[in-house]
Order: sequence, then structure tokens, then C-alpha cells
Amino acid sequence: MITKTLINEYINKIPPTPKVLKETIALLDAGELTKAAKIAQEDLALARYLKELVNKPIYGFTNEVHDVSQIFAILGVSSSQQTVYNYMTTLLSPSKWVLFKLNARVFHELQAKLSKRWEQILDHLNIEDKNISNSITLLPASIIISEALFCKKIDDVNLLRSTKNLDYNTILTRLCGIGLFDICEQISVKWEMPQEIAQIIQASSGLKPSDDEKINSLGKWMHLLLFYELSQPIFIEVGLNDFVDFQVEYVGDIYEEFATLMEIS
Amino acid sequence: MKPIVKNGIGVFYPQGFLDGNSCNSFLSMDDLAATSSLKVDMILVSLKKVVFFNKNGLNSFIKLFVKVRQTNHATVGFCDYDTKKYNAIMVFYKDDMNFSLFKTLDIAYLFSSSFKNQSKNILLYSEDKSQRTAMAIELHDNGHNPVITLTQEEFREKASKEDAYDEIIDATFLGQMGQKIATRVTGNAIIYSISSFLDAEIGNKFNIEYHNNSLNVGFRLFIFDAYKVISMNVHALNFFSRLSTSAAEYNATICFVGMTFEKTPEVFKENLEDSGIMFFEQMDDILQDKDLLKELGASSASNVKSKRIINKKTVTELPRFIDATVATIEMMTNSKAVKQSAKVQNISIDDKTDRIASSIGYYGDMDGMVILVFPKQIAKKACELLIGEETDDIEMILDTLAELVNIVGGKIKTLLSDERISVDITLPRTYQDVDGLLEVIENKKGVQVDLSFDNDKFLFFLTR
Repeated sequence: MITKTLINEYINKIPPTPKVLKETIALLDAGELTKAAKIAQEDLALARYLKELVNKPIYGFTNEVHDVSQIFAILGVSSSQQTVYNYMTTLLSPSKWVLFKLNARVFHELQAKLSKRWEQILDHLNIEDKNISNSITLLPASIIISEALFCKKIDDVNLLRSTKNLDYNTILTRLCGIGLFDICEQISVKWEMPQEIAQIIQASSGLKPSDDEKINSLGKWMHLLLFYELSQPIFIEVGLNDFVDFQVEYVGDIYEEFATLMEIS
Repeated sequence: MKPIVKNGIGVFYPQGFLDGNSCNSFLSMDDLAATSSLKVDMILVSLKKVVFFNKNGLNSFIKLFVKVRQTNHATVGFCDYDTKKYNAIMVFYKDDMNFSLFKTLDIAYLFSSSFKNQSKNILLYSEDKSQRTAMAIELHDNGHNPVITLTQEEFREKASKEDAYDEIIDATFLGQMGQKIATRVTGNAIIYSISSFLDAEIGNKFNIEYHNNSLNVGFRLFIFDAYKVISMNVHALNFFSRLSTSAAEYNATICFVGMTFEKTPEVFKENLEDSGIMFFEQMDDILQDKDLLKELGASSASNVKSKRIINKKTVTELPRFIDATVATIEMMTNSKAVKQSAKVQNISIDDKTDRIASSIGYYGDMDGMVILVFPKQIAKKACELLIGEETDDIEMILDTLAELVNIVGGKIKTLLSDERISVDITLPRTYQDVDGLLEVIENKKGVQVDLSFDNDKFLFFLTR
């Protein structure tokens, strides 16, 4: 159904980080918000994406924000960088979704919600680290990879999933020995993202706990956050609720803290 | 979201958080309609991967339960939960528990009709006396041996004995049980338990899919345990007459045991006898009489007098059956499956050692049966995607082989529907050895195709 060769072909087709994005990220890393905005404006698609994203209700701006420099100034270095990384992830997404009933708007909505809540979690955990903040941006790539690999096998996948409760990550791992989160890691390498991002993403699968206590704890928070968002009506309706397996036991020790933070009652 | 159906139980697997916002999104109108029309014994919602729920979150599934009960009388409820979740549900719905709670899916299987899961020794505890009794009766009707414990101390003590029981039941609650007729298998006979007043509802309560499947896979003796029947009306009479007539096509026998005619017209008995149904006073009158069992066709699973031959339509569509098998094996193994040879003949298996088999029937515009015979190791390889772990557990391998042949059946259904040929598929059946299979299909002519993947050979046989 899906072979290692197909996965390799998919990874090979992923372009390296575009020059404009590379420069924007580097300038943001150096705290040069104005210069970064100037470069970012050269990429019209990026500018449009930034504008669309930050004007979503979850960002809570009362007036519409238009200008990239204004956006970067409001978001600050860390969130601006996170948003550019989010844009990079969208470059992988298909023009038309088949496996999931998604579209660009809903996908961006998921990115925005994950990013904002991740910030909330990091604030709660008193963590101020750009790499950790950016790590959330790679998580939705797992959805794009599922779509890309399984969309042409949709009938087979549906038949298989009507017989046994198998998620896409398990199917892929059993068929090819490589899972969705492994592919995310490979993408992060290709995009020259800091190694810490890949480590957190791997831990967030809930299947490969990290030996590093801090990374593992962040993996738990991210895993639970993912399923908190995938339990929202909009994402259940597009078929994302069960695209990967929720490892309830993995998040058992942080659940109460998470529930308090998210005001779940 | 759609349920996954296995062994007569459809299960939903929601994940994450079930609250008032999310609850309605799990089930679309189409999902509700499709689930209500499923021919299953039970519809359950697994809470295994749910980390949080509240009453509003469960309510969308409760609405589904109501609809399912209205349309097909199946048992409905939740399964796969811990004590905390069980207690929460009991608190939420204490005055209005119309659904059931099964601590695990395996416990739910004990209360459903299945070819497997028969004659299990089951330790049982519930604080509620009426629940204890209800569960014991249901389990007994399904052919199990329940052992009731009256106190928690007694339960704990008995439950601590390793391997003393096949299953242990606690934190389980039977709401309105399905009105499906309890079924159990004894040797090569199938026993249905019927009770109370039999009327037109018998058509809804009786699992005709299961019955047809049993006929297709070779069962020839069907016994209705009618000790608890009070009376039957003309609609029920017609139902049993039709059942007997259709069974005659397979040379199968239908018997009633323990039926009294105090409140049922005696002429009904004559009508039923005219349609071929036999009456006995005691179950042992049949089950302990080997000569009678042989005569009734229950000494083996075959004994078909009127053999049905493979026809032109089946041969014409043969490529689609092979394509379905090849495509499924390729999907499951990620390797190329190759057809080696095809012949019309009686099934021929040169080496019978360490072979296991699985079959699935189809009926509708066409009818017949697809059989796959694998060397055990090759079956494991073919099922790797579904098993996901190294195992020599033959039960698990057979179970998975049934899932594989079910996928083949689903694929056949799709490919035939592309040709505007409408068929339904039966439940799959597995055979631990070739002898069991041969009892069913020996002397039946069919198309035998030798197939291989990665040089591992297996056999495909299509017959009627």
C-alpha cells in the first residue's frame, strides 16, 4: 500500500527552506524585528498568511492588523518566529484535501489554536525558549504527511479501518517501519530546524518517550494539547480526532494540571 | 465517525475530550442512520481513549442508542472504562440507565452471539442483586458457566486465584438488553433461546444474518430452546415455517425443544411439523443421541445432499474475486501477490500440516463462498499489519485471519458493485486445521487458485 520508497520520494520532494524564510528566521533570532519584517514582506504569500493568522479570534486583537512590521512588533520575537515556522509547515499542505475534509482556513485555525495554547502552556511552565516555542509548529505536519501518503489509497485505508481500529501512524509504522513523527523529524532536519524541535515532536507522539525529563514532559503536554484541540467540533468533523492514537496513560500525570490550566470542568 | 464491526458488535472509538461542544460532532446524521441499520447484536462506545467526559458529552451517544434501539433492538452502551469512569456514568444516569456498561469489550462479547466465546467459566460480581441475576441468566443463555459471588470479599478472594476463570466480570451493568435471541453453539448444532410470547417481533429479534451465515459455513442442525415460551401467534408461526423452508435448501433441520402447546393452538404444531420442524421434549433427547444427531446432520458440519455447483456467473466474475484477494494481500503485506494456477476441481490440499483457513460467504445477486488456506507462518506474515506484534497465539492468528478475509469480502463487495452486482457478505469463519474446513467443503467443486506473495504460497478456493 505504502512503501519506504514512496516515503523517501515524498521526503525528497520537500523543498529546503526558502531563502526569504531562512533570512526572516535568522533576523528574528537576532531580535531584528524591523529588518525581518522588511524581508518577510518580499514574500507576498507569507505576508498574507501572517495577516490572516494573527487576525484570528484566538489572537484576541480588537483591531485588524495589516502590516508585517506591525504584526512582528505585536507578537514579539518568539511568536513571530513561531508564526513564520507555521507558514513553512503550510508550504507542505496540499491544494485540495482528500483524506481529511480540511481546507486551508481550517488548517490555519488548527495551527493558530495549537500555537496560542502552547504559549499558554509554556507560560504556565515558566519556559522561555524559542526552540521549544517553535516546536509546536511542526506538529500539524503529521496531518499533512498522512494526507499526502494515504490520499491515493483512501478506499483501501477506509476498508482496513472499518475492520480494525488502526490509526495512520500505526498503519505506516507496521507497513514501513517508519511513523508519521519520524517523517516530521526528517523534515525538521531538512529544514535545518533546531534538534530540540524534533525531539519534542517525537516525544509528543506518545509512543517514544524521551530519556530527557524536560523533553519528555513537554512531549506529554504537547500530546495532550493535540487531543484537546482534536476534540473540538471543527476538527472532529474534518476527521482528525482519530488520525493518530491518543495515549491516555502517557499523559496521566499531567492531566489534572492541564485541565486546571485550560479550565476544563 | 463510524463504528468498527467485529463479531456482531459495532464499536465507536472517540478520543480525547467528550463535552457538550464536541458531542454532536462525532456523529453526523448519516452516521446515525448507517449505525441504526447495522445488523449487529450490540452498538458500544469505547471510553478507552477518552480522558475527560461529562454528561453532555455522552448525550450524543445516548441519542444514538435510542435510535438504534428503536430500529434494530440491539444492546447499546459504553465499554472500556476504569472504575472512576464507571462511577461517574452511574452518577450521571442513576435514574435513567437504559443502556449497558461493559468494563471491557471482551466482557461485552460474552453477552453477544458469536461462534467463539462459548462455554467460558466466568466469575461474576455486582453489588446489585438483580443485576447479578440478570447477568447470570444472560451468560447462561449464551452458553457460559457463570459463578456468582455475593460479596466483594468473596469476589476478591476468588478473583485472586490465577487462571481459575476465563473471564472476571465486575463494574458492569446490564441496561435494556438487546432483544436479540441468545445463541450458542454446541458441537455442530446451533441453539437459539426463545422465550415469552412469540409474535411478529420475532423477525426483528432473530439474527437472520447469523443464521444464514451458519448455513453458509456448514451448520445443519438448529435447535430452538423453547422451554420459556408461553405462546406463539400466527406471525411467529409463519416466520418459523419460512425459516424451515429456507433451511431445507441446505438440507438443514430445525428442531424445537421444550415447547408446550397449552396456550398455543395445537394445530400450529402440526403446521410447523408439515414445514419440516421437529419437536422434542428435552434437549438431551437430541444432544445425547448420537444416531439422531447423525441423522439430523449434526455429526459433522457438512452432509449436504443437494450440492450446488459453481455456475457461469461465478466463473465470469472470478477475476474480480481473485483481484480482491490479491489487492488485499498486497495491501496487507506491501508485496506483490501473484496468481500461479487456476483449475475447476474439488479442493486439493497436498500438505495438511500446520495449515489454517478462513472462509467468508456472500449472497444476493450471486452467492458462494471464498476460502483462503494458508500455512500458519504465512498467515502470520499476511496478517502482520493487523497483528502488529510477534505472536504464536493461535486464537489471535485465527482472529486476525478472520479480519483479513473480512477485508477480502468487503473488497469483493465493492468490485462487484462496480459491475452493478449487489451482494452482502457473511461473517467470516476460521478453521484451526484443514480437516475442519474439509468437513464443510469436501466434495464441493469450485475454482482453486494457487497464489503467492514473496514466494510464500497460499490457496484461494471459490465455491457455492
